[in-house]
Amino acid sequence: MTRQQPPTPEELILSMLREVLARQAEQMGLKPKVEPPPAPLPPTQPPLPPANIESPRATSPADLEEADEPLSAAEAQELAEFNELAAQPILPGNLPRTLGLLVIGLLGLLVLINIPIFNGLALARALPDRQALIIRAGLLLKGSGPEVYVLEQNNSKRWVSSLDAFAHYGYQWDEVHIVADSFLDQFPDGRPLHVLLKCDASPHIYRLENNRKRWIKDIPTFESEGHVWEDVRFVSCDHLRNIPNGPPIPPEAGPPPQP
Amino acid sequence: MNTQANDAPQPQRLLSEVEALLRNRHRFFAEIRDGVNVNHKSRAMLLWSAIFLALFGAVIGSEHSVWQALASSVKLPLLFLFTLVVCLPTLYFFNTIFESSLSLGQNFALLLSAITMTAIILLAFAPVVLFFLITTSQYQFYKLLNVGIFAIAGWIGVRQLSQGMRMLTANDRRGARMRGRILTLWILLYAFVGSQLAWTLRPFFGAPGLPFELFRGLGGNFYTNIFASLGELFGFFIVQ
Repeated sequence: MTRQQPPTPEELILSMLREVLARQAEQMGLKPKVEPPPAPLPPTQPPLPPANIESPRATSPADLEEADEPLSAAEAQELAEFNELAAQPILPGNLPRTLGLLVIGLLGLLVLINIPIFNGLALARALPDRQALIIRAGLLLKGSGPEVYVLEQNNSKRWVSSLDAFAHYGYQWDEVHIVADSFLDQFPDGRPLHVLLKCDASPHIYRLENNRKRWIKDIPTFESEGHVWEDVRFVSCDHLRNIPNGPPIPPEAGPPPQP
Repeated sequence: MNTQANDAPQPQRLLSEVEALLRNRHRFFAEIRDGVNVNHKSRAMLLWSAIFLALFGAVIGSEHSVWQALASSVKLPLLFLFTLVVCLPTLYFFNTIFESSLSLGQNFALLLSAITMTAIILLAFAPVVLFFLITTSQYQFYKLLNVGIFAIAGWIGVRQLSQGMRMLTANDRRGARMRGRILTLWILLYAFVGSQLAWTLRPFFGAPGLPFELFRGLGGNFYTNIFASLGELFGFFIVQ
């Protein structure tokens, strides 16, 4: 006498798939094309939890490479939906026209907002505080006074001591941001930014400050002021002579020599 | 394809492929799977995604200057397409090793469909960005708004890619689970490559107060910059 074998995992999966497809076909009002589910499982067979409906063989990487991995119920349902939706025709609509209009409209708006009509400013950049400051090294700031400062990496502000220094370091006036004095005050003072001038025919070095030249007495003074040779700018002696004298450095150094 | 589309001029015919992607992506994927007009689809998606991305790039760059708008309109499509080119071989070869029957062209079309979807979402957000561009002045807010929009559009694109890949390879059961894992890892790789390339190609917005520059020095990285912007926006510290 032959005894009926319990169903294998593959048969269980197939039976579940058939059930899913049959239910789906019923929901769509179609006659199910799949076979009716097989006879119920023997009572001794524990029901499989939904998470384990995939093949129990496919558990190791080697199995993953070798085995045909059956669709899970969710995957089968998704695939059935996919096939059903893929079979539907795409009816011509207004979408290309809408997309085209959106593209053309955006192009028009882009041109419009970039035309400089507000005192040379385009609408895209016309808000008064559009030029909001990004606090960064190299930012040029000016308060209510005539002094212009440049911010350093360490958040200190360095006074740009003269127009020559301003030009020497390549700054532009339209880069200077006018800010409130209280805003300036939050940055501690750093070393002023000077320009050091020298001409070929003279051994003397002068520091330009408030558009006056200040004679630096000697090398130790030069170094103690924190100056470096790279900051020395060579100009003609005539130009140097035409700059009015300021107090020497140090002030007790005596009358400054002419270059 | 319907005859109406075939009678239309070339750009419109190409646009009808984009319409197909939007209106019935299932059919679109099925056609890619079956090899129907894959090259035509790729051309259409390449053209229109580049146009849409260029437009969005111009919108975000307008915040700074006309030059920045022009530069961003070139850089944004380049960003997406370079990332695709860099990452495509990885996806293709790993898929092939794990028994996928998709060709390189099909993989390319599938990735382009994700990029096209992203580009369309970005284009749909363009009027919103324009609105905030004109009505707000806080640079960090504007930047983070756009990062958020990129994240949403990117997520939808990636979701489309994931769905498309599942549908295209549903019949290749061998190695299916491993391919699913590979796709997840590949999406992470794609995000990292994309964000790094975006950092390399920056600026896309152009910080106010700074002169126009085509490329900026490589300092920091994308993630620290976003963190710094959030910090400044919420008043924790000032971006230097």
